[in-house]
Amino acid sequence: MRMLSDPCATGTCTAAPASLTCIPLGIPASAMTAHSFALPVIVFTTFWGLIGIAGPWFVPKGPNRGVIITMLVATAVCCYLFWLIAILAQLNPLFGPQLKNETIWYVRFLWE
Amino acid sequence: MGSLFRSEPMCLAQLFLQAGTAYECLSALGERGLVQFRDLNQNVSSFQRKFVGEVKRCEELERILVYLAQEITKADIPLSEGEVSPLAPPLKQVLEMQEQLQKLEVELREVTKNKEKLRKNLLELIEYTHMLRVTRTFVKRNMEFEPTYEEFPSLENECLLDYSYMQRLGAKLGFVSGLIQQGKVEAFERMLWRVCKGYTIVTYAELDESLEDPETGEIIKWYVFLISFWGEQIGQKVKKICDCYHCHVYPYPSTAEERKEIQEGLSTRIQDLYTVLHRTEDYLRQVLCKAAESVSSRAVQVRKMKAIYHTLNMCSFDVTNKCLIAEVWCPEADLHELRRALEEGSRESGAAMPSFLNTISTKETPPTLIRTNRFTEGFQSIVDAYGVGSYREVNPALFTIITFPFLFAVMFGDFGHGFVMFLFALLLVLKEDHPRLTQSQEILRMFFNGRYILLLMGLFSVYTGLIYNDCFSKSVNLFGSGWNVSAMYSAGPASEERSGLALWNASTVRHSRVLQLDPSVPGVFRGPYPFGIDPIWNLATNRLTFLNSFKMKMSVILGITHMTFGVILGIFNHMHFRKKFNIYLVSIPELLFMLCIFGYLIFMIIYKWLAYSAATSREAPSILIDFINMFLFPANEASGLYPGQAYVQRVLLAITVLSVPILFLGKPLFLLWLHHGRGCFGVSRSGYTLVRRDSEEEVSLLGNQDIEEGSNQEARCREVTCEEFNFGEILMTQAIHSIEYCLGCVSNTASYLRLWALSLAHAQLSDVLWAMVMRVGLRVDTTLGVLLLFLVIAVFTVLTVFILLVMEGLSAFLHAIRLHCLLLSSKFSDDNGAM
Repeated sequence: MRMLSDPCATGTCTAAPASLTCIPLGIPASAMTAHSFALPVIVFTTFWGLIGIAGPWFVPKGPNRGVIITMLVATAVCCYLFWLIAILAQLNPLFGPQLKNETIWYVRFLWE
Repeated sequence: MGSLFRSEPMCLAQLFLQAGTAYECLSALGERGLVQFRDLNQNVSSFQRKFVGEVKRCEELERILVYLAQEITKADIPLSEGEVSPLAPPLKQVLEMQEQLQKLEVELREVTKNKEKLRKNLLELIEYTHMLRVTRTFVKRNMEFEPTYEEFPSLENECLLDYSYMQRLGAKLGFVSGLIQQGKVEAFERMLWRVCKGYTIVTYAELDESLEDPETGEIIKWYVFLISFWGEQIGQKVKKICDCYHCHVYPYPSTAEERKEIQEGLSTRIQDLYTVLHRTEDYLRQVLCKAAESVSSRAVQVRKMKAIYHTLNMCSFDVTNKCLIAEVWCPEADLHELRRALEEGSRESGAAMPSFLNTISTKETPPTLIRTNRFTEGFQSIVDAYGVGSYREVNPALFTIITFPFLFAVMFGDFGHGFVMFLFALLLVLKEDHPRLTQSQEILRMFFNGRYILLLMGLFSVYTGLIYNDCFSKSVNLFGSGWNVSAMYSAGPASEERSGLALWNASTVRHSRVLQLDPSVPGVFRGPYPFGIDPIWNLATNRLTFLNSFKMKMSVILGITHMTFGVILGIFNHMHFRKKFNIYLVSIPELLFMLCIFGYLIFMIIYKWLAYSAATSREAPSILIDFINMFLFPANEASGLYPGQAYVQRVLLAITVLSVPILFLGKPLFLLWLHHGRGCFGVSRSGYTLVRRDSEEEVSLLGNQDIEEGSNQEARCREVTCEEFNFGEILMTQAIHSIEYCLGCVSNTASYLRLWALSLAHAQLSDVLWAMVMRVGLRVDTTLGVLLLFLVIAVFTVLTVFILLVMEGLSAFLHAIRLHCLLLSSKFSDDNGAM
């Protein structure tokens, strides 16, 4: 992190290098786009809905059918609830993260 | 629903066993493990039962087998454990087996005794040889001094010179030689000097080899001594002292030829003894090897036989004394199997009349049977550790399969650690049949038994780790963070105050150590991270402020959901036991109580999340203060969360307050009304019911538990004509239950905050480990850093496994169990059952 801050110290921070397309860690330049709320909700609701509601129809008949159906439904409910709480808590943040100035330079350089 | 949801329906059956075939029938039943026997001879002491003699015989056989097993393991011969457990032996074989085993035991004892004797003998001879060898050197030395016999007077005291000198010249020179233990040499010498007043000469030398002490079997150092003395009396005193000190005394040869003779004789004898001893040991080994093949299977057979006789002891003889009657509890689904087993047993023993069974109806509560396979067994045992469910009650283990690992994972939530745990559990599961695992000892056995639990815990931990965005305390940025730092920078060179928002420029950033992003600035917050916690929080210094708020609210939401689910399961119980009134008078008030207070809390949490944003953050009220104010009715009604809040809260509070007396008094009053107004149901009372009711009452009063079980109230209703309707007791129990429920609601909700506490602890420990260990290694640049990194990774791994996985894992496991016990104890189940 110290090495990265050196070029920024010269005061050219505002010039976000255009050659940053070769960002390590493979984070796409589309990190600049905003995150929608509706899309993840639809995706995950469908996903856990498939598991929890449609899944039980496909469980093969056998002595363990009840147990497997209960497991599927319980998993779907628990995991969906947990994810929902996580995303709802971040939907309208009342305050933002407090970053050290080195972190600010790093984030600006690497993620944006 | 699978049979895990409720315990199986059971029925009471009477088995009529012909006397001759009883043993075989029971053997067949035992192999299948279908039934539970009831003890019909409870008032008979165990020494007066019919089959006491047979049981004693079995115990004798067991004793012999244990002795054999001991001898075999002492000789280091491996015991073969058979794969298939053998059946109980038929009666004809039993006598034969008994004779065989007894003969074997006698032989073994004799051979061992002989061996011991031989060894002792051998030791003595060896000691004698050593002694002879060493004393030869003494004598050699003494030979030089022999002519100086007359020098001895100089040792004497002057005054005794004349008298003792005369006496000594006439006395004979005697020798006593032998071996003495190293520790006693000094005392021995001193004692000799004191007693014999210098009339003896003691020479001793240490023996180089350590020999075995035949009495104790230890290897100790010995000293060879040679005492030369004059006179008979001295000789006797010396001998007594030698005895006292447990010396091994051997005859001392007077001449050199005699010595040589004795030595040769000794060496031949020792050779012989060695051969004999070898032969004996070989023979013993042979015998033990042969026995080892069948010892373990014989042990199992004998145990099964003993079990059969114990069971036979529980049966009673019928009037004609030809037939044994046994009463068993059997699951209804297995009645057919039971009949077949009886037929098979009768067939094997070749009886003329087959044994048969007959179901009888009873008012007693049967034991609880829940069939589990190896996957569900672990979860069922966790639930059973708290208490066995009543007959036909909803079995919480079915839901525990998922909720337990889930609650564990909420507390453990780390992707990396969860993955390691998952891999470990996978290893245990895949290697299930490995013999070393099935026979391992305590600690590994516990892990092995819980392998499926570990597997699910690991899987869920991976998921919660992804949501917490925590992988060995680092976050992963998969979708791009929702927070944009660049947007905080203002367009112009100087820092602007645009409509009250503080923006940055290069100099502000350079000069201030920390800066906070402001979500009200447009473009800074670009939407919630789609899966989990935003990775930027891992880099923030105020990370815990955000996470604490999130996790606390999450714990409360999860907790209240879990508890509500428990109450709903109670409704299932009431419906099954046909107690509709319980639903209206107990479950609904419980639900209303919980939901009006805590459900409303959840509503407030979610509403605040949805309705308030950065723009309105200054007016966002604290939920905690609002919640407390709901009960306090403060003088100044500050603007609440939403318009009309005060009115809504008053309504909810009213509903709650109304539901409490219904919870307290509803059921007792209803039952009183039934008793007076409706009359009795006119069901005949049987002896069983009376006994059962008393014990149930005691149990339900002793255990501070929920009385939402069927038989208690049912019995009471039916007892109406014959028994007093004990209103006071019902009222008391219901009052206790209600208080426990209401107070429990509040305290248990707070108890769920441990989900937050433990996940915080885990995250912080993980963070500290990274910062203190791994970062040290990663910072060093030079080539030395490579070696250092190697060491650092080793330390990191060890500490991760032991502290974070084992310690934190056990801690989270314990707390997850605690949360489930909260659920079980007060919400719905009444654990009166027997297995």
